[in-house]
Amino acid sequence: MRTALAIGTFFILVIHGIVFYNQFFHQWERNQNAYFDQARVLAKTDTERAALAARKPRIEQIVVSNFGETRVDRCTTCHIASDDPRFVTYAEPLKTHPYSTAMGDTQKDGKWERRHKFSEFGCTVCHDGQGRGLDPEYSHGNDEYWPDPLLGFTTQAHWRKDFAPKLKGKEYMQANCAQCHTEIAFPGTPLVTKGRELFFSSNCYGCHRIEGLSDGTIGPDLSDVGKKWKLDYLWGRIADPKFILATSIMPKFNLKDEDVKALVVFLKSRKGRNFAETEIQRFKVKLTGGAELVQATIKPVEIRPAEMIKQGEKLVLDRACTACHKLGERDGGIAPDLSFEGLLKNEQWLLAHFKNPKSTMPDSIMPAFRFTEDEFKAMTAYLMTLKGFPAPADGEAIYKALCLRCHGEKGDGQGPIAEHLDPYPRDLTKSGFMNSKPEARLVASIRNGVAGTSMPAWGKLLSEEQAKVVLGHIQTAFTKEPRRELKPRQIPEKSPVAMSPESVARGEALFVNRCAGCHGKKGDGKGANSLDILPKPRNLRNTAFVDSVDDRRLFESIQYGVQGTAMPPWIDYGLTNNDVGDLINFIRSINQKPKGGPHAAAIQ
Amino acid sequence: MSPATPPKSPFLATLMDLPKNVWRSIFRNPLPSNDLERSATSFTNFFLHIHPVKVHKHSLRPTYTFGLGLMSFFLFVILIVTGILLMFYYVPSTTQAYDRMLDLRGTVAFGTLLRNMHRWSAHGMVAVVFLHLCRVFLTGSYKKPREFNWVVGVILFLLTLFMSFTGYLLPWDQLAFWAITVGTAIAGYAPIVGKDMQFLLMGGTSVGQEALLRFYVLHVAVLPAILTLMIAIHFWRIRKDGGLSRPDDADPKPSLEAMENAVAPKASVPEPKKVYGFQGLVRGPLTKVGQVPDNTVFSWPNLFLAELFTFVVTLSAILVLSLLFNAPLEEPVNALHPPNPAKAPWYFLGLQEMVSYSAFWGGIGVPTIFVLLLLAAPYLDRGPKGVGKWFSRDRLLANTIFITFVVANIIFVIIGTFFRGANWAFVTPW
Repeated sequence: MRTALAIGTFFILVIHGIVFYNQFFHQWERNQNAYFDQARVLAKTDTERAALAARKPRIEQIVVSNFGETRVDRCTTCHIASDDPRFVTYAEPLKTHPYSTAMGDTQKDGKWERRHKFSEFGCTVCHDGQGRGLDPEYSHGNDEYWPDPLLGFTTQAHWRKDFAPKLKGKEYMQANCAQCHTEIAFPGTPLVTKGRELFFSSNCYGCHRIEGLSDGTIGPDLSDVGKKWKLDYLWGRIADPKFILATSIMPKFNLKDEDVKALVVFLKSRKGRNFAETEIQRFKVKLTGGAELVQATIKPVEIRPAEMIKQGEKLVLDRACTACHKLGERDGGIAPDLSFEGLLKNEQWLLAHFKNPKSTMPDSIMPAFRFTEDEFKAMTAYLMTLKGFPAPADGEAIYKALCLRCHGEKGDGQGPIAEHLDPYPRDLTKSGFMNSKPEARLVASIRNGVAGTSMPAWGKLLSEEQAKVVLGHIQTAFTKEPRRELKPRQIPEKSPVAMSPESVARGEALFVNRCAGCHGKKGDGKGANSLDILPKPRNLRNTAFVDSVDDRRLFESIQYGVQGTAMPPWIDYGLTNNDVGDLINFIRSINQKPKGGPHAAAIQ
Repeated sequence: MSPATPPKSPFLATLMDLPKNVWRSIFRNPLPSNDLERSATSFTNFFLHIHPVKVHKHSLRPTYTFGLGLMSFFLFVILIVTGILLMFYYVPSTTQAYDRMLDLRGTVAFGTLLRNMHRWSAHGMVAVVFLHLCRVFLTGSYKKPREFNWVVGVILFLLTLFMSFTGYLLPWDQLAFWAITVGTAIAGYAPIVGKDMQFLLMGGTSVGQEALLRFYVLHVAVLPAILTLMIAIHFWRIRKDGGLSRPDDADPKPSLEAMENAVAPKASVPEPKKVYGFQGLVRGPLTKVGQVPDNTVFSWPNLFLAELFTFVVTLSAILVLSLLFNAPLEEPVNALHPPNPAKAPWYFLGLQEMVSYSAFWGGIGVPTIFVLLLLAAPYLDRGPKGVGKWFSRDRLLANTIFITFVVANIIFVIIGTFFRGANWAFVTPW
């Protein structure tokens, strides 16, 4: 027992020895002593030498309160020679911080004067890192938990190996320069300027919001992305969006490394609010939407009528349209194929769609991009020249060439881009639906398209016979069940109730009672039950679609249901023909347009 | 000195004797060399008089107690000392707390060591207190007359958990913030009072400045005071309940000879006029009068050496741990960016794992039943047999139920710690 006690006590003593040694013999003390020794050698006068001899190692710190939260920078404890011009040739940590005219440092009588004095700015305001630390590991931010490792110098151990080497270089510090130097095209921060231009020219702004710059809503808000994330994450999300978040729908842009770097630096500079702005300035930016900055950043292409098509082609390729769309060999894998656009759409539709995608397709996720009218016209002109290739002969080949991208290999409506389309492509394996519709209607859907949805009108490419051939292929390959004779139903051609405010009111009451669970109170197809239903309930505010459908079809869908979907035959639930008429009138009434549309007259 | 020295002046003599007199006045006894002095040393020293003068040999067996109770106490002492030192540097403010942690880690003398010691002692205390509880249960030591002390012990265990939990938030990093968010959410699953309890604990609907302040006050003032009081009661009751438990056959049976003319004891109705000596009120087998044979040894040095040894082992272990492993400090709090998965402290991961199956039963139902069973154990299990032996056959049922609960919880903690990844999906750690 006593021996064990003695050993244990000795053990405790040894540990205390180690602890005390670590505590009183710091690395930084050795650095400072080395500096004092060197400085004594370099000293020219005796007083200088005496002053150095009197100095003892101590923690040096700069407290900076001018830039956001108070910073305590103890970096000069180790980097003690950073302001001593005699140590230019020494190795870190005993090295003079470089002087640079680009940074505003001036030379007077051979003596350098810093523009950014350490006593005023500290270190971390430019370099990041952890100012409070005295241990290189922690103060340089090698610790994986530290959010701001030294910008462009320190890469953390867990960063992706193929990205880490690209994240070194002092140019990354421009992100911090931009916290104060917010001038448009500030010469000291070329990468920030370039990144901001790329943010617009690569159409990032279409999906992402940055306060004072853009209003995209599809992707995450990037206003303070530089504060939230480290370089490694920013680079990763741009270079390989799916690597960090498997569910990301962000397209993979094929950017050169230097472009990615510029974007990363620009994003790193987005830290919510920066030191240079006052409340009033922020408010002004809010009022104008940052128009000044945006105008300075976007560089519109001057369109010459003679070269319109060529310029349009260049625009389509340069502005990253194929990051989402398919065009020839390029395929972003998110949005429809543009190869046949000249046959499927007309100029008027394209122009309207460019200016406001939701005007032609209410549920489109395509952002409204800020191009000039001329640019839109040039792009439209180019797209109208795209005629694709002649349709192949047999049904299977046609399906693969034209339909598969949306309707899927198995015809189940789960094509590669289906998840980005709203409404979803039709599930062609649902025989209940396919066999309850007359062939003429299905052929019409193929040849005339479905208005307000991504289903284009293939009529200029496929003849009636070809459409039937594709349908035959779909019928045998996917639907499988043979078509049956349809029972004749009693369906009026027009709504049995005349349009009137009373009828609309009755229809609304019925709608809220019977339909809102799935179609939603607003009729937008987003009712509580819609989450569990496939195909999704129809968006009845999709005016383009509703206008393309006549009363007869609306009546049939409501009163006899839509087989193969969750829409039940309401005749079984006690709706009279007049009730259905009221509902039709209500649905028409919520799709009023100022003018035009085949049913406008009825509504007026 | 030669005997021929001239007589010293009385003042000089006083001065020469001063150190000796000061020493004597503090420590009344010389280092003991006989039994009387051993008794006196234990009896007259403030710190030693908590101990009995003589202690049963069975209580000194290392494999009976493994020193777990003492270890818990010493860890508590280490926690108090390091905790007070840390308090000098800590500010319970959401804007300052994390910076103070950075200062402790980088700049404050011995800051890292203090933080490490406090952290590992806290984790250690939770583990050791729980092991101590297992020891007491598995040796049947909660039985009469130690029922109430067992209840005090269970309360001490719960207080220890709460103590560790409240301290978890103080570094104000991501680990702390989300662990407490998850932990208080578990409390919110309790029926009726759950949401109010959660609100009271956090001082709001989410973890923020109010929560930090509340946890700080609980951690440094309220809980330590309660814990200290309960520990005092716990120790007091050990003495009053007759020392540590031991089996019946640990004592030699005194052979009692029938005394002639012995008066048959009367019915035990105390006579009103009777004046009792204090000895008569002290319960338990340690009170003995005369030369009854027993199995005790003097506490000095047997017990005290054992205690010192336990202390040295505990301190060494904590020091080594603190030297080898740094207490974690993650990113500063970002309330908008939860880690996936957000995990509670390890000792609550069993609960969190169970909560992932059923919020009410995992977080409240099962733990409450377990604690109530623990508290009620000495009042439900009244059989006098099996005291003082590990895994006694007489207590097969009680031990089996207990071990089942414990093993189940340990399995859940292990699953929760190592086998749960993003979205609480099952992952293999290798």
